[in-house]
Amino acid sequence: MTKAEQAVAGIVAAVAIALLLAMLGGVLSPTYFLFLFGLGGMYALMSLGLNAQWGFTGLINFSVAAFFGLGAYGAAIMTASNSPLAGGFNPIFGLALALALAAVVAVAIGIPTLRLRADYLAIATLGLAEVIRMVILNEGDYTAGSQGLRGIPSFFEGWPILSAFPETMPGLEIEIIPGQAVVLGTSFWRQLLNVSLMLAFLGTAFFVLRRAHRAPWGRVLRTIRSDEDLAKALGKNTYWYKMQAFVLGSLIMALAGVFYAHLNLFVNPGDLDPITTFYVWVAVMLGGAGSNRGALLGGFVVVAIREGPRFVGDVPVFALDPGPLRLLLIGLLIVLVMRFRPQGVLPPQRELIWPTAIDDDNRTTPKMGVREAKTDGEMQGSTDVSTEQSGGGDSDE
Amino acid sequence: MSLLSSQVEVIPMSESGSDIEMQENSPVQSGTGRTGANLDKDDVVLSVTDLEKSFGALVATDQATFDVERGTITGLIGPNGAGKSTLFNLISGFYQPDAGSVTLNGNDITGTVPYKIVNNGLIRTFQTPRKLEGMTVREAMLVGPQNQPGESFHKLFTSPSTVAESERQNLAAVERILEEFEIDHLATQPATDISGGQMKLVELARAMLADPDILLLDEPVAGVNPTLANKLKDQIRRLNEQGTTFLLIEHDMNFIMSLADPIIVLDQGSVLTEGTPDEVRSDDRVADAYLGGGGG
Repeated sequence: MTKAEQAVAGIVAAVAIALLLAMLGGVLSPTYFLFLFGLGGMYALMSLGLNAQWGFTGLINFSVAAFFGLGAYGAAIMTASNSPLAGGFNPIFGLALALALAAVVAVAIGIPTLRLRADYLAIATLGLAEVIRMVILNEGDYTAGSQGLRGIPSFFEGWPILSAFPETMPGLEIEIIPGQAVVLGTSFWRQLLNVSLMLAFLGTAFFVLRRAHRAPWGRVLRTIRSDEDLAKALGKNTYWYKMQAFVLGSLIMALAGVFYAHLNLFVNPGDLDPITTFYVWVAVMLGGAGSNRGALLGGFVVVAIREGPRFVGDVPVFALDPGPLRLLLIGLLIVLVMRFRPQGVLPPQRELIWPTAIDDDNRTTPKMGVREAKTDGEMQGSTDVSTEQSGGGDSDE
Repeated sequence: MSLLSSQVEVIPMSESGSDIEMQENSPVQSGTGRTGANLDKDDVVLSVTDLEKSFGALVATDQATFDVERGTITGLIGPNGAGKSTLFNLISGFYQPDAGSVTLNGNDITGTVPYKIVNNGLIRTFQTPRKLEGMTVREAMLVGPQNQPGESFHKLFTSPSTVAESERQNLAAVERILEEFEIDHLATQPATDISGGQMKLVELARAMLADPDILLLDEPVAGVNPTLANKLKDQIRRLNEQGTTFLLIEHDMNFIMSLADPIIVLDQGSVLTEGTPDEVRSDDRVADAYLGGGGG
């Protein structure tokens, strides 16, 4: 393990222990913790999707919130009780519609832009996000407009055993500190089901991306990110690869939306606000472009920053409202990452060669990450400031 | 039309290729366009006919016509701005020609996209070596082989054993070719950390992994020290003997005159003449072109 990996593992362990203590001490309700954990997983999913697009392939997508929203609305339109189109279906159909919508939109936006330079996709997706939000807001006949879609069932509604699981589980009372009983009731079990859905989505996405990243397929994507002309000169159909990566990433973002619809049980056009896109970008930059583990870490950190200030507000020393504090922390995080670790906290460190084709002893783990040298080209503009220092700064970590 | 007999030597040279077999003194002049190229070749792998390309008012390629015979190392020289790199970009599909045609192995590849041209057996390299950030040399080499099953997304999940098998073979091929190029010690170095000359070697080695019929090298020894340049020359000769045809642009006259035969001279976007190194060296029009006479 590298120093960075040890540090991250240490911090994650410390946070896990602190959260456990907080729950046992009655400060944090386990049900609410599971809700937050679900949100974290949701952001991690979106970060994985963006990682496949930007981290692997270098595609700049500012439509994360739109694909997330398509996922959420796809699920909601099929299942919500006030859906103007097709409410009341089994959530599986919602999942299918969500993925289909995301795939169709991704292909539609990809066809005209992926043949062009990377900038055009960035511009097009910036517009697309707003277009999709406005369509959902204004096409009330299909989406219920600004009222939002209500009465979405839990994802496992109608499944054998699982649909009745929260009600059949006995309420548990755990009393470790006398007088501070922690009650695990129906809502806890319901939330636990949600979290297991999230873990299933997250696990699938992580497994798929991890395998793809280490395969020749991922190698072509990484070649495109470094130098698309080189990939073309070596006989790769770069347009087709970029399309695959873009659609794959968009589908994963839509999965996050499906999960959200069944977590929140209500969706409205406000869920497509562009701020989500930028949180996800921060998550991927924090984790390290091209790093799947980094995307997971980034997703949870971003939720900690989004939800943490609520608790800090209770402490009188901090005279800050949660809203401004949140923005301050995000800004600070971006500055610190760009200044001290522009390659992200957990950049890919190892050679990416198909695992069974090479014995692990033979695989190199360079002291210096193979990505360490990369400073330019990474988010043109925003890293310019840090580029000069990053070369010498911490390259021996 | 005969060659002028002046003996003025403008182009610097060291040894004249003694092992180079002399060709007929007067290349056949073609009826198409005003090419000085020899179009009377037996086994043509790449044929360029009346190729034209302008950028605004600048005519970069002007009815360029020439053939490349299979098994040769054909040199492409010409003063700066003669249109050599444009020609490479037109042949390899990076630019679309305004007129004319390119034929590769008998197939018309005019205006097709680069990857299809690669499928037809043509690989090109770039003037400035392209770096692959975040990869080791070995990984960067693995991008070279064509039609890898692991490059198809669904096969990663439906037939992982096929993917592993081909990856193992490709890895073995990479190790073998790196040894042949005597750079196997670099295999696990970050691809961005090696010298410019080593990068040129890696590019050549990677191009060979694609198993091309014809390899287009754009200034293979620009900025490479003489020792490495000689190494590159040996490698190109070796690969040529093994059956790969080369078409190379080079400004280092010693290098190209001792390696290539025939040599095609490009000036102002069209082919001025073609011949053995000796013929080209003793051609006044070539000297004029290099001295800025405008080939007129």
